[in-house]
Amino acid sequence: MRKNKCIRGIFLVLIMLVFPVMVIIAGGAQEAVESDPLQLVSERGTHTEAWKTQMEAFESESGVDLEITQHPYANYFDQLMLSYTSGQNEYDVPYISLLWYPTLANAGYIQPLNDFVDADATLPEDMPGLQSASLDGDIYFIPYMNEVGGIVYRKDLFEDETEKKNFKAEYGYELTPPKTLEQYEDIAAFFHRPPELYGVTLMGKRSIFLATHFMNRLWAHGGNLLDDDFEPVFDSEIGVKSLEEVKDFFAYTNPAAYSYDFQEALTEFKMGKSAMAELWTTAMFHVDDPEGSQIVGKASFVGFPKPADAGDEKRPRLFISWGFAISDACERKEEALDWIAHATASDALAEAAPLGTIPARISAMNDADLIAELPWIPAFQEALDTCIPTPIVPLIPEGMSIVNGFVAPMVSEFISGNGSAEELLAGAAASTRELLEQNGYY
Amino acid sequence: MKKQSLTKRWEDILYLSPGIVVLGLIFIIPLCYAIGITFVRWTLIRPELGIVFVGLQNYVNILKDPFTYEVLGRTMVFLICAVIIEMVLGMVIATVLNWGYRGHSLLQSICLIPFMMAPIVVGFTWRFLLNNTFGPIPRLLQSIGLESWVSLPLLANPHTVMLVLILVDVWQFTPFVVLVVLAGMKALPTEPFEAATVDGATSWQRFRHITLPLLRSSLLVALVMRTLTALRVFDTVSIMTGGGPGSSSEIISFYGYRLAFQSYEMGLAGTVGILTMLLALGLTVVYLRRVGVES
Repeated sequence: MRKNKCIRGIFLVLIMLVFPVMVIIAGGAQEAVESDPLQLVSERGTHTEAWKTQMEAFESESGVDLEITQHPYANYFDQLMLSYTSGQNEYDVPYISLLWYPTLANAGYIQPLNDFVDADATLPEDMPGLQSASLDGDIYFIPYMNEVGGIVYRKDLFEDETEKKNFKAEYGYELTPPKTLEQYEDIAAFFHRPPELYGVTLMGKRSIFLATHFMNRLWAHGGNLLDDDFEPVFDSEIGVKSLEEVKDFFAYTNPAAYSYDFQEALTEFKMGKSAMAELWTTAMFHVDDPEGSQIVGKASFVGFPKPADAGDEKRPRLFISWGFAISDACERKEEALDWIAHATASDALAEAAPLGTIPARISAMNDADLIAELPWIPAFQEALDTCIPTPIVPLIPEGMSIVNGFVAPMVSEFISGNGSAEELLAGAAASTRELLEQNGYY
Repeated sequence: MKKQSLTKRWEDILYLSPGIVVLGLIFIIPLCYAIGITFVRWTLIRPELGIVFVGLQNYVNILKDPFTYEVLGRTMVFLICAVIIEMVLGMVIATVLNWGYRGHSLLQSICLIPFMMAPIVVGFTWRFLLNNTFGPIPRLLQSIGLESWVSLPLLANPHTVMLVLILVDVWQFTPFVVLVVLAGMKALPTEPFEAATVDGATSWQRFRHITLPLLRSSLLVALVMRTLTALRVFDTVSIMTGGGPGSSSEIISFYGYRLAFQSYEMGLAGTVGILTMLLALGLTVVYLRRVGVES
């Protein structure tokens, strides 16, 4: 009896000891991992795969070890935010979307990188994305890749002599990649021969992708989401016109496009089922990938067109950029800056580009070897040169909430026939105003 | 004697304490935290604004917003239709599988496959099956003269999208009901059935008056579990429709997600979470009172 009691006592003490010890070990293990290599964090995407190829060379040149954590794009931002808000400070160098840095900078999670830009006087001109990378005069984001919203089109169809002849006979002008919105619609109508070929591919699923179709048109017509005082201004005549145009363009799509997301739209275009697709430039990498495309080498890119009456005036075009930031809690800023300098050097950008990224530097885009490998790069550069590169969401912390939470559902409601353009735009603008008012913008 | 009993009691508490600590860490603390954030305004993307105590304002805002009732209505339609169909279908399939013919074990295993799939895989699979260009279902509907049904993709049509989501849920979760009911059927005593057969009861009478009452506990478990899980369906909605077209398929779990990770309003999102929990609790109490009293 006494022996049993003794055994029970020992067992009890063990239980009481083991539990806290396990907790301490678990905490300590994490502590140990956090110190050594410089911690990079990114999404799982083609451009990350491109810069990952530069890591080994940097490690051997600098003697600094790098370690990367990758999250699926769908929950990367949430993971990053949770990591920062919980104070874990796991990451030194986050690779982020241009759209995210205002939130992170405002919250004090990332630090200014002015030294990096100041060290190279040619950088602002060579790296157009830097124009959108500053907040209150401080640079927080060093672009690695650029993209412009526009149209990928079937070069082989546009160059086909019979198609050209027929188009001219029908519309009275030459078939070329669309330079105006009017041409864009004519060409979409001309090639719309369902079910073999559709005029254009759009993305109709309720998402930020659908919102891009509205934003492309809103900017092309000279509109904007917010004015300089952060007042929503998209519930204007231009807004109505742009929204109606989005709906009208679905007449030239496969009916299935109403439920498409980016991947499905891309698949349709890669299968050669449409003459044009309203995507952005990195779609070209997928189109030219022989593994999954039936139109390898048969496509090119053109920036999103403007209305004919806009003439040569520069108007905003959807601009997407991903790049590097440095966490505020990073204690090895010099090493982090060295890595960023290495990855964003012109030759490194040009070398990595064919793996799935469009260089953030003009000097890299002019690389002859790169142009030989990616012949559509000059078309991309022209699209960039002829516009005001504009991020899809306003560069304020609430930007994503406005586009994801109000604009995308509004466009989705409209194309599915749930309300008038005026009502829906007014509703989205009112919600936007309410949010910004609550957050102290007025 | 009294001292020994007191020592024993403390000993019991000490033995239980690791379990209580773990339970506290993984259940009670998060629950308190979730309730706590409903009383604050906390915008995750604007941490510099701080966490401001607002009392019941989040509840007032959510309950005042007509969109909440739209979402709740949609959620109830989804829940009631999906759970009723699953219960009826699950019962029928379980009865058929319980007959014990040759190959029934294989059939049972096949029936369980949808339930074993991750909801995210189910979402992508059905998205493909329903794709108007590549998917077999629209083609099948076209081939039997129902072109008008798929002139717009089923997932992009505000009138059909909820029906599709309900059917996908039924496809995935009916096997769960089958599993629970079948386990219940296997454990039924044989005597009442033998007695009823001797008394000349028909198959329907045996099913209605013996099987169903004896299965009450199993049915209650299936009903409660399905109701609770149907309330938090998220993955399939997110993958298949993203809440659209418009907001035609936005149900309460997706609404909560949108408030948390698109608007980053943690207080409002927490409030939706707590309201969902209260709804689940209310439904469970109703079930226990109505169905569970005798069992």
